[in-house]
Amino acid sequence: MFRLQGSKVLAVDMTGDAVKAKNGSMVAYDGQMAFKKMSGGGEGLRGMVTRRLTGEQMTVMEVRGQGTCWFADRASEINLVDLQGDKLYVESSNLLATDAGLRTGTSFTGLRGASQGNGLFTTTVEGHGRAAITSDGPAVVLRVSPQFPLTVDPGAYVAHQGNVRQSLQSGVTFRTLMGEGGGEAFQIRFEGDGLVYVQPSERNTIAGDV
Amino acid sequence: MPFREINSRIVEATVLPGRRLFSQRGAMLAYQGEVSFTPNVQGGQGGVMSMIGRRMANEDTPLMSVEGSGTVLFGHGGHHVQVIDLTGETLYVEADRLLAFEGTLQQGTMFMGSQGGVMGMVRGQISGQGLFTTTLKGHGSVAVMAHGGVFEVPITPQRPVHVDPQAYVAHHGDVRNKLSTALGWRDMVGRGSGEAFQLELSGSGTVFVQASEEKL
Repeated sequence: MFRLQGSKVLAVDMTGDAVKAKNGSMVAYDGQMAFKKMSGGGEGLRGMVTRRLTGEQMTVMEVRGQGTCWFADRASEINLVDLQGDKLYVESSNLLATDAGLRTGTSFTGLRGASQGNGLFTTTVEGHGRAAITSDGPAVVLRVSPQFPLTVDPGAYVAHQGNVRQSLQSGVTFRTLMGEGGGEAFQIRFEGDGLVYVQPSERNTIAGDV
Repeated sequence: MPFREINSRIVEATVLPGRRLFSQRGAMLAYQGEVSFTPNVQGGQGGVMSMIGRRMANEDTPLMSVEGSGTVLFGHGGHHVQVIDLTGETLYVEADRLLAFEGTLQQGTMFMGSQGGVMGMVRGQISGQGLFTTTLKGHGSVAVMAHGGVFEVPITPQRPVHVDPQAYVAHHGDVRNKLSTALGWRDMVGRGSGEAFQLELSGSGTVFVQASEEKL
């Protein structure tokens, strides 16, 4: 059972079941807990090799036991995401914890990933259960529907879920090349039906510099 | 209560004549009224012997005493501030986490080795507390700093609490703490879960934990 204690601490009540969490993110627990590192994100040998190759390494531990375990990561804000069979796309560094029943994997993001400043690949989480993602500052959840596509700054994008198509949109003009750009030369455009998580802070990206 | 939380990072302290406060030097943000700030060479209460004790224990965070009548705002480094009220029990906290405390509290230093011998000293090294920690005892309030928000976890004899040493802030009550290791062969070959060392607190009391693994 995932619940938030304040906005920066995730409390998980466990009765003999397990959760997957980012390595070293436990801050306190009561009861009995066992921590075990899962090499390659617990996706087997193939997943491990894929993660190595894609640079989307994720050090995950499996926490199993009885009692309450508290997780936090450098005082960043935590958001809970409910998954009902749909797929969540999130950067591995923003993924704090997932139910053990959720499957994680990697997916290719194309040029968009490079503009976000976090590589060409991203992490996917799918199945039924809950996941906790971190963001720098409280994240807003924006809905994308077929009538209302959404455009997001790559540096402020955290995660998205649902049946969403994304494309990189560039507003590079003559001015940008002259170094007179507005700092918003690249955007990610989401179309379809789903949710996008946006943080009130921007990572350093190539897109942010031009 | 002399301390009032203005927001999560600033506390307002009410100073009355004859009720002295101690605060970390340079932590004053603003004040109203007739308040004087005196650097405290001794780094707190007690005489010269206490000062020497603190110097040796490396728990001698520069303090100043605040006297007069008025209100003072305290804050430091954008850290979150938590006010802890003590009613006779002893609070164990690192000196550099102390933002301000009432003069009615008795300040002391505790040798980590006095709780658990050699393991206590090892524990101090691992949790970054060093060999000594500061104790505050009596009736009054303390403002403690932490990175990220602070949450309290109650400790009862039936339910000992384990805390990540880096996220530990302070504790009070009748609590025994010991370092528990979950070192396995996995940690030896670099496959550890990052949770090899934990502080195990048992007894009855409260432990304060911050939402971050960063030290101040």
